[in-house]
Amino acid sequence: MLKIENLKAEIEGKSILKGLNLQVNAGEIHAIMGPNGAGKSTMANVIAGKEEYEVTEGTIELNGEDISELAPEERAHNGVFLSFQYPVEIPGVSVTNFIKTAINESRKAQGLEEMPAKDMLKKIREKSELLEIDRKFLGRSLNEGFSGGEKKRNEIFQMAMLEPKLAILDETDSGLDIDALRIVANGVNKLKSKDNAVIVITHYQRLLDYIIPDFVHVLHDGKIVKTGDASLAHELEAKGYDWIKQELV
Amino acid sequence: MELKDKLLSSYVAFENRVDTNTDVHEIRSEALENFEELGFPTRKLEAWKYTSLNSVLKQDYSLFPDRVEAIELADVKKYFIHEIDAYKVVFINGKYSSFLSQTTHEHYDVCLMSSALTNAKYKPVIDKYFNKVAKQDNLTSLNTAFATEGAYINIPKNTEVKKPIQILNFTTGSEAASMIQPRNLIIVGENSQVQIIERHQSLTSNAVLTNVVTEIFADKASNVDYYKIQNDEITASLVDNSYIEQQSNSVVSVHTFSFGGNITRNNLNFYQKGEHIDSILKGITIIEGKQHVDHHTLVHHIEPNCESHQDYKGIYDERSTGVFNGKVIVEKEAQKTNAYQQNNNVLVSDKATINAKPQLEIFADDVKCSHGCTIGQLDDDALFYMQQRGIPQKEGRALLMFAFANTVLESVKIPEVKQRITKLIAKKLNVKVGFDL
Amino acid sequence: MSKYTEDDLREELKTKEYEYGFYTEIESETFAKGLNEDVVRAISKKKNEPEWMTEWRLEAFRVWSQMEEPEWANVTYKKPEFQEIAYYSAPKKKPKLNSLDEVDPDLLETFKKLGISIDEQKKLANVAVDIVMDSVSVATTFKKTLAEKGIIFMPISEAIQEHPELVRKYIGSVVPTSDNFYAALNSAVFSDGSFCYIPKGVSCPMELSTYFRINEGGTGQFERTLVVADKGSYVSYLEGCTAPQRDENQLHAAVVELIALDDAEIKYSTVQNWFPGDESGKGGVYNFVTKRGLCENNAKISWTQVETGSAITWKYPSCVLKGNNSVGEFYSIAVTNNHQQADTGTKMIHLGKNTKSTIISKGISAGKSQNSYRGLVQINSRAENARNFSQCDSLLMGNECGAHTFPYIEAKNKSAQIEHEATTSKIGEDQLFYCNQRGIDTEKAIALIVNGFSKEVLNKLPMEFAVEAQKLLEISLEGSVG
Repeated sequence: MLKIENLKAEIEGKSILKGLNLQVNAGEIHAIMGPNGAGKSTMANVIAGKEEYEVTEGTIELNGEDISELAPEERAHNGVFLSFQYPVEIPGVSVTNFIKTAINESRKAQGLEEMPAKDMLKKIREKSELLEIDRKFLGRSLNEGFSGGEKKRNEIFQMAMLEPKLAILDETDSGLDIDALRIVANGVNKLKSKDNAVIVITHYQRLLDYIIPDFVHVLHDGKIVKTGDASLAHELEAKGYDWIKQELV
Repeated sequence: MELKDKLLSSYVAFENRVDTNTDVHEIRSEALENFEELGFPTRKLEAWKYTSLNSVLKQDYSLFPDRVEAIELADVKKYFIHEIDAYKVVFINGKYSSFLSQTTHEHYDVCLMSSALTNAKYKPVIDKYFNKVAKQDNLTSLNTAFATEGAYINIPKNTEVKKPIQILNFTTGSEAASMIQPRNLIIVGENSQVQIIERHQSLTSNAVLTNVVTEIFADKASNVDYYKIQNDEITASLVDNSYIEQQSNSVVSVHTFSFGGNITRNNLNFYQKGEHIDSILKGITIIEGKQHVDHHTLVHHIEPNCESHQDYKGIYDERSTGVFNGKVIVEKEAQKTNAYQQNNNVLVSDKATINAKPQLEIFADDVKCSHGCTIGQLDDDALFYMQQRGIPQKEGRALLMFAFANTVLESVKIPEVKQRITKLIAKKLNVKVGFDL
Repeated sequence: MSKYTEDDLREELKTKEYEYGFYTEIESETFAKGLNEDVVRAISKKKNEPEWMTEWRLEAFRVWSQMEEPEWANVTYKKPEFQEIAYYSAPKKKPKLNSLDEVDPDLLETFKKLGISIDEQKKLANVAVDIVMDSVSVATTFKKTLAEKGIIFMPISEAIQEHPELVRKYIGSVVPTSDNFYAALNSAVFSDGSFCYIPKGVSCPMELSTYFRINEGGTGQFERTLVVADKGSYVSYLEGCTAPQRDENQLHAAVVELIALDDAEIKYSTVQNWFPGDESGKGGVYNFVTKRGLCENNAKISWTQVETGSAITWKYPSCVLKGNNSVGEFYSIAVTNNHQQADTGTKMIHLGKNTKSTIISKGISAGKSQNSYRGLVQINSRAENARNFSQCDSLLMGNECGAHTFPYIEAKNKSAQIEHEATTSKIGEDQLFYCNQRGIDTEKAIALIVNGFSKEVLNKLPMEFAVEAQKLLEISLEGSVG
């Protein structure tokens, strides 16, 4: 599904990703862990196509197609979804209106008609129930005045609506209490299928108790330095990151 | 004779008397022509829509009060911030009083405009700075035409002026109404710091009209902290024209406390000529009777990455009138500007008036500009709460008004000034409260 | 990676064509250019007006002749040559129509292009439409339904004939002939407009609507609208405007007077999309309008406007809150693009006790345009417990435009409570990226954000108007900025 080779990226001349390699196949869940400043969020933003980051070397392929020259919305149309660590506020634009626009724009890009209002409503109802989202919440301005937990739940709700091929969850667990964490994780698990893939970026192993990864990668200084299975996350939780750094020396 | 004609016809005699270098003479002549053409401002001018000088201009002013009056320090001590050691530049009827002053030429110049204008030693400085940032409008031109005396402060770079500088203008006018036009020039070098307190005080019940112009040049990374205390007699009117030019990374803050006087007009203008500049304009106005205070501010954001903060509070009782006209201009190049303006007013009496015009003119898109303006009363619930806890209504009101004005006092850096202003506010609000700070 | 740059934006703005730039060829009768007392008399005579009306016009003309064109607004333009304007233009064929079938097919075609087919409106929105085509009404619908309720809704020229007592009583009562330069001019030469009277206690069952169009080259348009809501009545009035493309500047100086008697309510909504001039600033309509409403006790007047057109807009829909407990509202969206200039806002004059006013103004500037808000909130000394809340938000797009705020606040009563807030912002890069990531392209994202920014005002429009307004917002910033 996703194949990243020797990816190097910088922001304002500062190099962040220094030769990253990663392959994610359909049906897999990958966890990316690592200390602050390792380049985790940069990786997510580069895959999504944020313009401030300059890719200096390497390729990003999605289903065999190089997407590194595509605009962010084109990548989204191809099935890339990024759950933001800090979702932005858009005053006056309701959650419903926003998601309706997003879905129809994607459909338009695929040459499809707009989704009939009836189907849209049905889908919204279904997915909001999945994430235990109150109807009133959907009428509020996007992320404006949302609590940390509401913002993250709203991100996963949008993911459910957009049904991406590749979902990248950037620190989705931060700011969540235990109930919200369970709801979010439950949502992600229900959306998981053999046809899509998920990359979970996190500091802590906590979220991985709910979303069990097939692979755990440790990102350090812009590169993946260690890969293992779910047990690696437990090991990191218990021992921290220092031992990996020492291994590297 | 009308005041304008009187001024124009006295000019020749005035020019003959003063001994200045020719360049200044030329500046004066031009300014006089300018004033002759423009005349005194009238309410037809948008900038004077809410303030009429008519009643003030009717007086028959003595233009150059000649008599040097002796004043006992004991009589005027209360007008100084006497609790602190400070430089003092004191004038009586526009004439320097060496007896009351404490000036210096050591490390920096804290002295007289008259010597700066006449002494060849200062000519390069005068050439470079005199009348350079001042706008050529009617009243500033009038001042320029007759500029002879005032405070001259020149701080070289990397210098911290250890004690505050007080500029005081006393008017005795024992026989007649008098008009004075002080002219101050303040140059603060790169990376230097200074604190200045300015006050105009009438010692007579005769009418006084002061038309003062102050030019301030704040060089790179300098810090100027300026306080204007306006608590004059009810027969004294003041037009204060201040022009401040700031270079990169400088911080200039001006606090204006307007409690007294007949008609007070403050024209406070900031021009930001570099990046990362901060301009701070704060004011408290508490007036009553038929007093009139007009704050006219301008912050001109010319370069990127600068800030300005304006916070003006006003409390108006009886038949008093307040005006706040705040203008912020953000030029196209001034991206990332952060301009904040707040003006809050309380009308205590039904006869009081407030006119506010907070304007924004914005030509750059990546900026944060906001202004807020409120006119309202004190919070009745808060008042009731205090009454319920046994605080009499009168004291409760005072406390609320004090709290209302307090945000402005918080940024006063000289404790003695803060204390003095606090006392003045308590007195103004006519209550004895233990607001000791 | 494609980046949507300022250059792209500018490029796209340039290519934006005026959507409604077409011209319907209907035979017209036009007076020779120029203005003097004879022309004023001729206009009045042409319309078979009674003597008092002719005199009223002449008086206005005399006042106007003594006046000077105002210059205080934050706009620059070449002043119209008032003697170069033809002051009367009427379609030659003036058929009496009982149904829409009789309307000139060309005209119907025009409306179709505008997407405001009358048929559709009749069906969907239950709207009575009084069409004004270059100054003279050629079709009036739903008159009968309204007549049953005693509602008068007709061209003002007819009202002068049929209800002279009402017109005479109220015309010029809120906007006196001497009010300002353009109002005086309008009073002297107004060609036609609408008159509406809602009797006591009647709630008008449908939205009353007029579509103004400027159609004849070189014809100044001087509309006169008078709406009187008698005690305890209610009416919602819609005014929409689009004009065909023209190279020559066209002057529009309308006067709208609203009178809300005790306990009455008038809601007046405008969507204005006249030709704004081309990308180089050539052509476009000069829109110098005087709109004012008077509220008696417990009355309410609400102005809502969406302004996307005109080269120059000079317009301050105002409320005189004369009666106790009266309420004035102003909700406005003003979009300027290319070389457009708008100086618009409102005046809220609080005279009565417990009067309340609300001002929500949203300005969006793009291209090389200048967008100014100018407003006055005045609390007079007897206006006990007056309340005002004002909010002026500006959104700037690109770095060649300007957004300006000139609020005047004058309070003479201690019980007044006035709050004024203003903010200026741009569309954030992070907001655009977020939308992009969800598959929404930049253009659509900007439209979405602008709509969100304007929402408080859009919500105030009647449903069928809101859709058109939203469409207009997108069109006027299209290709560019959403």
